[in-house]
Amino acid sequence: MLLPWLTLLWIPLYVLAAKSSVHQQLVELAAQNNGVIKLNDKTYDLLTSPDRDWSVSVHFTALDKRRRCNPCREFDPSWNAVAKAWSTVPRSERDHHFFATLDFDDGHTVFQKLGLTSAPVVHVYPAAEGPRRPVNGKLAPYKYDFTHGFDAEPLALELSKHTPVAIPYRAPIDWAKWGTFAVILLSGLITLRFISPVLQSRWTWAIGTIITSLVMQSGYMFTRIRGMPYTAGNGQWIAPGFQSQYGQETQVVAVIYGLLAVSFLMLTVIAPLQKSAQRQRAQIYLWTAVNLIIFSVLVSLFRTKNRGYPFKLFL
Amino acid sequence: MLAYSLPSDISPSTFVNTASLVRIVALGLISAAAISSRLFAVVNFESIIHEFDPWFNYRATRVLASKGFYEFWNWFDPTAWYPLGRVVGGTIYPGLMATSGVIYNILHALNLPVDIRNICVLLAPGFSAFTAWATYMFTKEMKDESAGLLAAAFIGIVPGYISRSVAGSYDNEAIAIFLLMFTFYAWIKALKTGSALFGTIAALFYFYMVAAWGGYAFITNMIPLHAFVLLLMGRYTNRLYVAYCSWYAIGTLSSMQVPFVGFQPVRTSEHMAALGIFGLLQIVAFAQLIRSHVTSKQFQDLLFVSVISAAVLGMAAMVLLTYKGWIAPWTGRFYSLWDTGYAKKYIPIIASVSEHQPTAWPSFFMDLHMLTFLFPFGVLVLFRTLRDEHVFVIIYAVMGTYFAGVMVRLMLTLTPCVCVASAVGLSQLIDTFMDPREPDVGEEEEKEDGSSTTATPSKKAAKKEKNAAPVTGVGAIDDIVSTLSIAGGLEKDKSAKAKTGIFGLDTRMVVLFNTAAMLLFFVLHCTWVTSNAYSSPSVVLASSNPDGSQHIIDDFREAYYWLRMNTKEDAVVMSWWDYGYQIAGMADRVTLVDNNTWNNTHIATVGKAMSSPEEVAYPILRKHDVDYVLVIFGGLIGYSGDDINKFLWMVRIAQGVWPDEIQEPNYFTQQGEYRVDDQASKAMKDSLMYKMSYYRFAELFGGGQVVDRVRQQYLPKQGPTLDYLDEAFTSENWIVRIFQVKKEDLLGRDLKSANGFAQGKKRKRSKPPVKRRVLA
Repeated sequence: MLLPWLTLLWIPLYVLAAKSSVHQQLVELAAQNNGVIKLNDKTYDLLTSPDRDWSVSVHFTALDKRRRCNPCREFDPSWNAVAKAWSTVPRSERDHHFFATLDFDDGHTVFQKLGLTSAPVVHVYPAAEGPRRPVNGKLAPYKYDFTHGFDAEPLALELSKHTPVAIPYRAPIDWAKWGTFAVILLSGLITLRFISPVLQSRWTWAIGTIITSLVMQSGYMFTRIRGMPYTAGNGQWIAPGFQSQYGQETQVVAVIYGLLAVSFLMLTVIAPLQKSAQRQRAQIYLWTAVNLIIFSVLVSLFRTKNRGYPFKLFL
Repeated sequence: MLAYSLPSDISPSTFVNTASLVRIVALGLISAAAISSRLFAVVNFESIIHEFDPWFNYRATRVLASKGFYEFWNWFDPTAWYPLGRVVGGTIYPGLMATSGVIYNILHALNLPVDIRNICVLLAPGFSAFTAWATYMFTKEMKDESAGLLAAAFIGIVPGYISRSVAGSYDNEAIAIFLLMFTFYAWIKALKTGSALFGTIAALFYFYMVAAWGGYAFITNMIPLHAFVLLLMGRYTNRLYVAYCSWYAIGTLSSMQVPFVGFQPVRTSEHMAALGIFGLLQIVAFAQLIRSHVTSKQFQDLLFVSVISAAVLGMAAMVLLTYKGWIAPWTGRFYSLWDTGYAKKYIPIIASVSEHQPTAWPSFFMDLHMLTFLFPFGVLVLFRTLRDEHVFVIIYAVMGTYFAGVMVRLMLTLTPCVCVASAVGLSQLIDTFMDPREPDVGEEEEKEDGSSTTATPSKKAAKKEKNAAPVTGVGAIDDIVSTLSIAGGLEKDKSAKAKTGIFGLDTRMVVLFNTAAMLLFFVLHCTWVTSNAYSSPSVVLASSNPDGSQHIIDDFREAYYWLRMNTKEDAVVMSWWDYGYQIAGMADRVTLVDNNTWNNTHIATVGKAMSSPEEVAYPILRKHDVDYVLVIFGGLIGYSGDDINKFLWMVRIAQGVWPDEIQEPNYFTQQGEYRVDDQASKAMKDSLMYKMSYYRFAELFGGGQVVDRVRQQYLPKQGPTLDYLDEAFTSENWIVRIFQVKKEDLLGRDLKSANGFAQGKKRKRSKPPVKRRVLA
């Protein structure tokens, strides 16, 4: 008779044991996979259980190719790098915060429950119990804001506000970049004797200067700073709108400018060198025609960008 | 053999005189064209100051004109940046105001009672004529007078420069481009002649430039860069030494007299290149001196090594000083030119300004038209001769195109260089095809004879000194005269060209006709762009009626005059910083923040008030003594530059200071869209900005579909309500809306429950009675 009652007494201990075992389990899971727990529906509930005395940052993503989530794939390495940096923290601190990843294909229901329609998303759940429970009692997850892009550095900085100690993330040294730089520098120094006539030739510098000015005037910096795609997804290569452009436009416009500059160069510098009158005449007519036609193309291209432009040449 | 005949009975002196008369007339006409094409704004609208910054400049100039220079110098403006105030004299570049002040005083001394506003409005067009002249002088040094005239014509009407100098855009750039070009001209002249006089002139104009525009840092780095490249090319001359040292010493000392600049020339990284080159030149000059006195090869080698090590040591010392904090590192604005992602990450306020965005190619074409492709060709032509001064234009071309690509506003600094290089290229083309001589082998010997006998000793000397440019300015006339009397004194390159050239008349006609047509197209383009895109005052808007006539939308001035006439003189008006200068200038009221964005926290405070719910915003407003809040709303007539469209920047800037309270994602819908309709996020709907913008908006539609014409979204029929503010004024087209901040309730309730009581709503029992809150 008494036995069931006695067992009842044990229940809190069981719960405690279960909880600690859950925690232990999570620690192990994290250790297996470079500090990132791979979640599914069940482990998600375990991890974010309402009586957790640990905090957790969860990364919702969709890495499968069929989901066509490019940002997810872009962000994933940063996430793993930050989680790995966290796993180097001393054990006493590390086990109070977990990094976890939930792929859409492993946990539809969680995505549905949270009403997530886009990925990647990062939530940070504060500890619900224990000494690390937030003082203001707010248990709603903090949502990471991707305004600083998908880089690891701002992520580590932002998450550090929620972890017991700051995440010791340091950007890895880009050995490849430094290596290429060193190799180029060294080979330049070694072959200095051979390339110095090239470096001292004014025409090398002339070509460099002209290419720079052409490329810059074609909006190269715009596409770089804004991270514009090469073309639109549907194959359209002219970006709609006056204040926008795609990568391919840069190339086309640079080539057009270059051709026009070459036509002037041919007329002014090359044609007068021609000894035969007939051939010179042909050359001059040819390049004048090229100049006119390419300029018309340029103007019509500009008209597609600026609908209100009233002028047109032949096209 | 000539392609077409020339009159041969004109004496050379007649020719020289006619040519110079034609040049003067042409320059006069170019100036007239430059000035008049900038008057579209005055003709279409009226003589009014444009945009935002000019309103402050105008206000400061009025103080200068009415109270005198010393009063202006010591002016402390308590109405700006309330409650901080602003020391105006020490935080501005006074060159612009001083210039108009001087013009004002001269005119009044001549008993011409011109209004200060008209001087301010017409200053930029007037200075554009000077710019054309300075560009002419500069290009003359590069090639000849005909190229100079072309360059002057280009800069006179090119939209890239007009965009910042139409009548009424009373901004620092209005006079700065003239100063830039003239400083560069004086520098080139000093470099060519080795004259300390021209070096000093360059320094004085540099001082004027420093006093006028923050862009002076461009000169501060261009001239040292030019000197450095010349050193690397092994083109050190004593002329370079004299020119650089006279410019640097006098220029730096005088620039430090401007209070806003102060000790920056010796304390900040932007100015260190100039100092470093100054030091390097001393070392190189010393080494040259020693070398000319010793013969030992070993010693010369030793000298070479010591020069290099001294340069490296100097560089290391500068880096160390920067590291130790003795020299301030690059400022954010400057640094963001190199690391283009920097501003967006760390200084959103800089990234938020539309003229700091990168430039897409249509903007280049719009601003430069055919100069975009004439310019690389001109640079190539410069590379063929590559004199010292040509190196300057080439460096300028590379730096200018890069900067213009990174920031739209720096198109302005690129434009002069583009005009100069294009003019050189085009004038080379015209020279080639205008030259009536046809290549003929038989005549060659005769010419060779002629040139050898008539070559003067001075010319021989000029040939000997490889880098020297022809000092006399009559080279071009020589050309023309020489073509008249074929065997006349021919220049070196001309005699070489006699072997080559263009055959026939038709070829000449084709190319020249094509060139003329392109120039005509250029003029049409510039006129169209100027009249359509760059002549809007943005204080007054224009739209066209269905019948094509112009309809003027004058909401801004309507609202500002309402403020001026109907509010207390010391009333504090809160608005987003864009409108600070206009409120101060037109309404003459106290503002919290304005376009001089020096205090990020203060701006973030306003951003926070705008993006928070009423209950949170109200204490902020009361603490800052705000009486009125002004918002710009374009939803009714489709004015897209309104505050709802700028709202995300307010949120971002506020988030930078209070990341816990304001978070940008909260203002987007679940799908990550920026919406204002019934799907808008809660934070968005609760924000003060949203409530003020759409307050009573639905009533306009009388129960029909409520549509926001800027964002093309349908709003809920039940509009937002306001408890802590009262609508005070809404302009004709609803562009400007002014709200009055209510005082605390007399019975000590919070205003929300007071409002509820007045409307007969029952207070919820569950809430404890509201206690009176003490405001700090």
